[in-house]
Parts: sequence; structure tokens; C-alpha cells
Amino acid sequence: MLAAWSLWQTRVPDGLRLPQLETDGLFRPTELERAESYARFLRLDFLASQLVLLVVLALYAWRGARFTRESAAGRIGTGMLLGMIGLALVWLSQVPFRLAETWWDRRYDQTDAGYLETLFANWFALGAEFLFICLALLIVMALAGRWQRRWWIAAAPFFVGLVALFSFIAPYLSPTESADAALRADNRRFADAQGTEPPRISVEDVSEFTDAPNAYAAGFGPTRRVVLWSTLLDGRFSDDEVELVLAHEVAHHSRNHILEGLAWYALFALPGAWLIAVATCRRGGMRSPAAVPLSLFVLVGLQLASSPLQNAISRHQEEEADWVALQTTRDPGAAKQLFEKFTTLALSDPDPPAWSEQLLGSHPSVLERIEFAEAWRTRSR
Amino acid sequence: MAGQATLLVTDDLRRSRLTVFFRLLLALPHIVWLILWTIAAVLAAIASWVATLVAGQPPETLHRFLSAFTRYSVQIAAYLFMAANPYPGFTGEPGYPVEAELPERGRQARWKTALRAVLALPAVLVTAAIGSGAIGGGGGRSGEADWGFALSSGGLVAVCGFLGWFAALALGRMPNGLRDLAAYGIGYTAQTYSYLLLLTDRYPNADPEKVGPAWSLPPHAIGLEVDDDGTRSRLTVFFRFLLALPHFVWLSLWSVAAILAAFVNGIHALIRGRSARPLHRFLVAYVRYSAHVTAFVTLVGGRFPGFTGEPGYPVDVTTPDLERQSRWVTFFRGILVLPAFLVSGGYAGALFVVGFLGWLAALVTGRMPTGLQTLGVVSVRYLAQTNAYWLIVTDVYPYASPALRPPADEPELEVEPELDPELDGPEHDRPELDRGVTG
Repeated sequence: MLAAWSLWQTRVPDGLRLPQLETDGLFRPTELERAESYARFLRLDFLASQLVLLVVLALYAWRGARFTRESAAGRIGTGMLLGMIGLALVWLSQVPFRLAETWWDRRYDQTDAGYLETLFANWFALGAEFLFICLALLIVMALAGRWQRRWWIAAAPFFVGLVALFSFIAPYLSPTESADAALRADNRRFADAQGTEPPRISVEDVSEFTDAPNAYAAGFGPTRRVVLWSTLLDGRFSDDEVELVLAHEVAHHSRNHILEGLAWYALFALPGAWLIAVATCRRGGMRSPAAVPLSLFVLVGLQLASSPLQNAISRHQEEEADWVALQTTRDPGAAKQLFEKFTTLALSDPDPPAWSEQLLGSHPSVLERIEFAEAWRTRSR
Repeated sequence: MAGQATLLVTDDLRRSRLTVFFRLLLALPHIVWLILWTIAAVLAAIASWVATLVAGQPPETLHRFLSAFTRYSVQIAAYLFMAANPYPGFTGEPGYPVEAELPERGRQARWKTALRAVLALPAVLVTAAIGSGAIGGGGGRSGEADWGFALSSGGLVAVCGFLGWFAALALGRMPNGLRDLAAYGIGYTAQTYSYLLLLTDRYPNADPEKVGPAWSLPPHAIGLEVDDDGTRSRLTVFFRFLLALPHFVWLSLWSVAAILAAFVNGIHALIRGRSARPLHRFLVAYVRYSAHVTAFVTLVGGRFPGFTGEPGYPVDVTTPDLERQSRWVTFFRGILVLPAFLVSGGYAGALFVVGFLGWLAALVTGRMPTGLQTLGVVSVRYLAQTNAYWLIVTDVYPYASPALRPPADEPELEVEPELDPELDGPEHDRPELDRGVTG
């Protein structure tokens, strides 16, 4: 609890009062209607996909052990096979929803991607997931073979280490190009202002897949990097707006959000692994391949159940990054324009329903972010 | 329904060095004649197709003409690719040492006739992998017969012809394994042409025993045992390549270690005349594991293999115990293995086609077609034998023949002969370990 309290602390002033703005005053009715309509379908698509996912995994947990007859491998190899089959079923079950999402995105001019591309463009990533689940099951089943029901005590540090490794190398997993000199200069300036070493900055060309703007911070230590999507630099956003995005991403590094995320993961890994161990006891525990389908169901169920908490933590970090970015650029006007464009260009619902915010909101809503910028302006006068 | 085309082989393996040396030049008149005949055969096949659609069977005249063409193309391929020695005639008359026995004219299902060109595509793909470029001639740009030519120029038969040319020139005889493999490819191509040219509506069967005579399998240190009923889970078939990813990673890592181990093993075998026991065990497991993964990926095997190369997989390699190896063979292994690598390349191409077509078929039917599986088994066995040879597990050269079992008059060995664990004796007879393939 102490660790959680410590991780929850941010630079956002306590008791910050946000002004109560109305979306009607910020956007034209047609813009609002378009963004809300777009987001409404995607929310339904998400709900249906999660429901189907749970049903499929529940059925797999119930009957999946029969796939052991497809294996001539030993205990762990068979477990790997069942894990991969589980992923395969998950992928299959999500195909209609991905297609529906693509159809909707195309309808609203959010992507040029074709349907076949949607299905098959990510096979490389799917292959990586297959390999990852094999590695995870290798660790878990080997530990369960050694320590039986107490495998989770040893497994949690393993997985924290593994996630740390992936976080460390993540910047190298996507092809990027180096940013231009102006962006590099801004990056250095903002890092100095935030009291941190400048991370590397690069641009990822996503124009073939989407028109949505985005940026992210990845890596830690020597691999720290800020990546801007090419869609952010295609002329639709002013220099001031791009600078605010850059300052926001640098803030993720200066406030150590990647490492904080790892620490949060470490806090949840132990109880999560314990719950899986308890749930699979009646199937012979994670030592037995027959328990793998059930463990997948429990894992996905836990992830879904904990998503409100995960999203709350993520929103908290994003708020802090927004705050630090405003402190750095001192330009709330650019922030307001930028967030408004998230609605007018990327069709982000400015004020989504509360349940959607809980389940899907990794960032504060557009309205909240504009209110946040206004609060900063008021406070800085 | 008409019968299936099969191959008769009465060749005695002897070759005239002179005609071998000039084989390609000597074959030139035949190649020109075959091209002309192919043009006529394509037109005849179209006429036969229309007539068969109407009457339910091809006209007698056209059937005879196309049979003669097919027989002739088999003879030319056999001559060109060293599967036979005598200079063939120009009329496709029966009596050649490698001979296509073609089905009598019979009734054919009209829907199969209507869709013949489409239905034949998988067989054409297999022909491209194992067949011969000469069959069907080819020079034109249209017509069913040309597909085989265009696609099969690098097939197994061509490899056999290339290697057989050197061997026959040096020895005055064609190696049995290469001859059988060439004849098998030619025989399968004859089946494909019989199907395409409407001589029969029986689909080509890649099972070597359905193509030609009972090829005999001599004893070999590396054999293959098959205990697989061909049923496949559609789900694991659909995701087969992704499911194999962890095996690819593991096999890559293991391969690096195996190469290093083989190098050390080679030095040990040069000095002591046999492999080092721990390295031998390690390399045997690698050979077995590699075969398991290959079988799994290409759907020759159904079940997910283990990661340790332990025996027990449904498509499994039988391996030798530690045996004495010729120092000369060990010393020149890197050169001696080159022909085997070439044949392996041909078999790997066949396996690729087997995997692709098997994937489609198993996805629809939930079963691996027997003919394709058997071709896959033969290919996996050869790849395992090549692996075992170049990794100094055995000094017995890979046997290229598509044979599945020992000759009928030689009983299968049930029990491996006991070996002196230390191999101290002055001479060791090579143990007869191969138990052949059980289909």
C-alpha cells in the first residue's frame, strides 16, 4: 500500500479545481455528432468483442484440454501448444470485430487500410505473441514442476524481469526514422527544462495504416526514446501543437513513467500469479498442460477486471505529463487547440460515458484535458 | 472409370559412357520432335476434352494418339535424365526400359472433365517439384502441357539427371537410388499428363508405390518409422506455421550448436575412427528433432513435437548406435555431401509443395492426403539421412530412392544387432539398422 501510495504521487497540485466546460461551447454540433457517432460504434464493437473473447476462452477452458492429444511433446511442450492454440482461438474470435472496426474507420476516413491488410498485416506481431506465450509457459511450467503450487512466488520476479526487458528494448522493435533538426532542438530544450537527459527522438511512418495522430515514449535508461507518428507532422497540426505533444512525451521520461509502470506491474504480478495458481489447482496446477486453457481464461478475466484500475493509473500519469508539458511550453492555447483537433480530426469523443472511461480510457477525455489546460492557465496568472 | 497410369522399369542401370557424355546433344532431335508433337497433342487434348464432355469418354483415335505422346515423352525424359540407356524411338511405341503403362479408354465423369484444368493444378504443382522438364516438351506459351514444362524445370528429376550424368560417366552405371528417384518423378509426371490429356480421370497419386514398381529399400543406418493415421485437427492445421515458431527458434539455436559439435565430432572421428559418444548422442537427437519439426510443419506429422528430439514422434527417425566410420569418408565429408545437398534441395522443394497442398487439403477434409504424406515421408527420410551424413553421425551415404520398404524377399529386421560399446574390434560389419518406412 505504501508503494502504491508513493507511485500515485504526481506534480499535479493537490486540490486542483477544473473549470466545468461544456462540449457544446467547444465544438460545432456537426463535429460533436460525428465524433460521438464514431466512438459509439467502436464502444459497442469493443464490448461485443470482449464478451465473445470471454465466451471463447471459457469454452476453451472447459474443453481445451482435449488438444493434448495433438501433442507428442512432453509436459511443457504440450502446455506451449495449448497456450498457442488459445491465442489462435482468441485471434479467430476477434476477426469479425477487427473487420467491423476497419469498415467503420474507412467509413469515417480514419484509415485507408484494406480488409485483407487488417487481417494479415499483423501476422508478424501474432507470431511474436505466440513466441512470448511459449516463453511465459516455459517459465511457469518449469517453475511449477519444481515448486508445485508455490510457483507463483518465483514466477512473479521472472515476469517483472521479462516485462522490464521488453520495455527496455521496445524502442528498437518498430522501424523509425530520425527526426528533423528543429524537433531535435525542441527535444533538447524541453528535456533541459524538465531537468532530464534528452531522450532520442524519431518519427514512425504510419501513413499507410492510419490518419490518426499519435506519439509515445518508450524505453528507459540508455534506450529512452520519444516517437512521433508521421500523421502528427503532416501539416494538420501547428508547430506549437507539435511542441506540446513533444513536451508531453518528454515528460513521461522526466517523470519516469515507464519505470513507474513497471513498478505498478510488479505490484500486481504477485497477486495475479497467485490467483492463477489458485484457480488452476483443481486442474492439477500449472504443472499440468491441462490447466493451461483455464489459466488463459483466468488471465484474460483478471486483465479485464483490472482494466479500470490500470486505466486510472494510466490517466493519472497522462495528467501529470500534460501538466509538466504545460509548465514547459507555457502555452495552454496550443494545448486547447491540440485537444480540440483530437475530436475534430481523430474523432475522439470529447465526453464519453463514465463506464467507457473506466474500461477504455487510458487518457483523460478531450473535455477533461481542455479543462486541465484552462485550470493551468488560471493557476499560472 | 479408367485406370491409373503406372511406370514399368526394366532398366539394368548400365550406361554407355559415350552416349552419356553426349546425352543432351543426342537428345536434341527428340526434343525438337517432342516440341512439334506437343503442339499437336495440345490441339488433340482440346478436341478430346470437347468430345469427352459430350460423349462421356474420349474418342478412340485421340486416346491412342495422346497415349503415344505420353509414352514418348516418358521415354525422352528417361533418356535425357539418365533413367534409361537405349536411344528411344520417335513413335512412342512400347518396349522401352522405362515405360508408361497407360490406362485403356474408359468412361469419365463429365464434371471432372469440365473442370479438368482447374482440378489438375495441385498435381501440376507436385509435378513442378518432382517431375521432369522434358516431359511435354514446351516452347509454346499456352495450353495445359506447357505448365508442367514451365514449372518443373528445376524438379527432382533434373537434379537426378545432373548428378546421374557425372556418376554414369565415372562408373558406367547409374546409381540405383538416383535412377529410382528419376523414374518416380517421370512416372508421376506421366500420371499428371494422363490426367490432363484425358487419358484417365483418376487423379495422380504421389505415393511412390502407386506410381511405379516396388522400389526396394536397401539397409541404411537412418530409417523412418511412421505411425500416423493422417487425421489432422483443422485448428492446428490453420495455425501450423505459427505453432511451429517456437520450434524454429529452438531449431536455429540447436543448429548452431550442432554445427560446432559436428566439427569437433569430425576431428574425433578422424583421429579415433568413430564419433565421440556424447557428441553422437547430441547429434542423433538433433537429427531426430529436425525431422520431427520438418514433419510437423509440412503436415507429414500431425502432432506437436517435443523439443528434445526424444524418440516417439509419429514420424520418427531410427538412428544408429555408435559405429566405426571410414576416415577417408570423414576427411572428404564436406565434398562428398554436396550431391546429397543437391538432392536434399529437390526434396525440400517437394516438401514445400507437400506442406502447401497438404495444408489446403487438411483444412478442408481434416486429413492429410495419403499420397502427399508418403511423398513427405520419403523427403523427410532423405533430409534426415543427409543431416546424419554431414553431421558425422554415420558414413552411410543418403539413399535417394523413394522406396518405402525393403525388398519382399528380405525380412525386415526387428531387432538391432548388439554392438560392442567400445568398438574395439579391428573390423565391424555395418549393422543393418534400417527398418524401412511403414506407411
